[in-house]
Amino acid sequence: MSERPAAQREPGSYRDPSGFVFRHDGVLHRQINASFAEDWAAFESSGLHRALIDQGLLIPDQQAALELAPEAGAIAVIQPEEVGFISYPFEWSFSQLKDAALLTLRAHSMAAEHGMTIRDASAYNVQFRGVQPILIDTLSFERARPDQPWKPYRQFCENFLAPLALMAYRDGRLGQLLRTWIDGVPLDLASELLPRRTRYFSPGLAAHIHLHARAQRQHAGDSGPDGAPSTAPRAVTMSEGRRLALLDHLRRTVEGLRLPPQGTTWAEYADQTSYSEAGTASKEALVRRMVEAVWADGGRRAWDVGANTGRYSRLAADAGFWVLALDIDWAAVERHYLALRASGDNRIMPFLADIVEPSPGIGWENVERTSLIDRANADVLIALALVHHLAIGRNAPLPMVSRLMARLSQHVIVEWVPKEDPMAQRLLAAREDVFPDYTLDGFRAAFDTEFEILDEAPIEESHRVLFRMKRR
Amino acid sequence: MRLVFAYIDPGAGSLVIQAIIAGLVSIPFFFRNAIRSTFGRFRRKPTDGPSAAPGVSAPDDKGATSTDSE
Repeated sequence: MSERPAAQREPGSYRDPSGFVFRHDGVLHRQINASFAEDWAAFESSGLHRALIDQGLLIPDQQAALELAPEAGAIAVIQPEEVGFISYPFEWSFSQLKDAALLTLRAHSMAAEHGMTIRDASAYNVQFRGVQPILIDTLSFERARPDQPWKPYRQFCENFLAPLALMAYRDGRLGQLLRTWIDGVPLDLASELLPRRTRYFSPGLAAHIHLHARAQRQHAGDSGPDGAPSTAPRAVTMSEGRRLALLDHLRRTVEGLRLPPQGTTWAEYADQTSYSEAGTASKEALVRRMVEAVWADGGRRAWDVGANTGRYSRLAADAGFWVLALDIDWAAVERHYLALRASGDNRIMPFLADIVEPSPGIGWENVERTSLIDRANADVLIALALVHHLAIGRNAPLPMVSRLMARLSQHVIVEWVPKEDPMAQRLLAAREDVFPDYTLDGFRAAFDTEFEILDEAPIEESHRVLFRMKRR
Repeated sequence: MRLVFAYIDPGAGSLVIQAIIAGLVSIPFFFRNAIRSTFGRFRRKPTDGPSAAPGVSAPDDKGATSTDSE
């Protein structure tokens, strides 16, 4: 046998025996194994593959050379398009997760029309291109067998329905449960946390969460009369019509979930900044000048940290950048996402993250899902009205702030917010001032270790100063 | 009788309960479909076909999209 090419299997791609994702010379590929040959052939011949791509539901791919297959047993290798940035379900706001859920159900509908079915419903199979959700697992489809139940039912409820219901009925922050449970929120937990009224007045949640959790408990230790595992549940049958009805009901349940119309501190923050009108205009002009300078220096991807509802993300996008708009507050991310979705703007991707406590690596060996720091792909970090939150709000010494930014990006655009600024005063209002080094000179000295200051300009009618710096 | 094989664990309880739920919800489902196919031709257009517009989804969030959209 000829020597196999050096390729790197993606650490998150190990569960599905029908194939896996690997990188060859840094380029993303997917090997398809012989065990999946018939389903793959049906996927092609039914026209489903083409239809899903044409409708924008599935990531486009092209055929690659079979010799690239790093492991034995391959029948095909494909090269899927890569999305600009891999995000995880716990980094999405409510509507992002909801749209991902509806996309999964739509893909199943389309599969059903082609005599096929979707065979997994993991939220990790969905990625976002801007505000457009798209499936990235090309091997998610198999031939439908008559009378078979919908296999990913449990996965769908745990990955999508449970966290969405908890966010809608309890608190938008509960999407973070997906960070602890990589396979989805356990239904018994969801059932316990949801308000009692969802048991009686929400038929969808009563069925798919509460009854479902109860059934799981009852069948947990299923065994036959002789104590051996029972095969009975495996033989459950379901007509195609009932399967359709079930999926339709799931869709209605998901569509019916809504966030209560309430704001949080941050989502209203953008409306109550400390700037005068002239100050805002001055800041916008300076940010524009600085992002354009980074663009001229070859920068293409921007991370807007503390983006809130995206006022300055848009300036960067207008300069040509692809923008990841991070914010710590789910309501701000939600508002930003809905506004972009309404205008069909795919240049900016709203993203829920706390830069002080970035997403860790999780899953198998802590590498199945990569940490946020390891996913850093920014050419420029835009940190406006952020430094005081890190240094005063979270007690991070300025040299550490500088080191973090240097780790994330080559260029940074940072706004200095002095202590006398009303927003900084707000943070200091109820506490002792233990920040003697939090001065403009201290800021310059701290950043001087990692960065060279290329542009420095005061913002009119404020005490703030905007810096553009490049890593040394 | 066919057996279910999946590389993910579909869960014994999940299989049993989905069959029961599917049985229950199939009644209004077929009833709705019957009504729709009878009266559907009088309507302007169906609002909830299985495949809505690609990519960007459900037109039901309008209430929450009151922010700027320029």
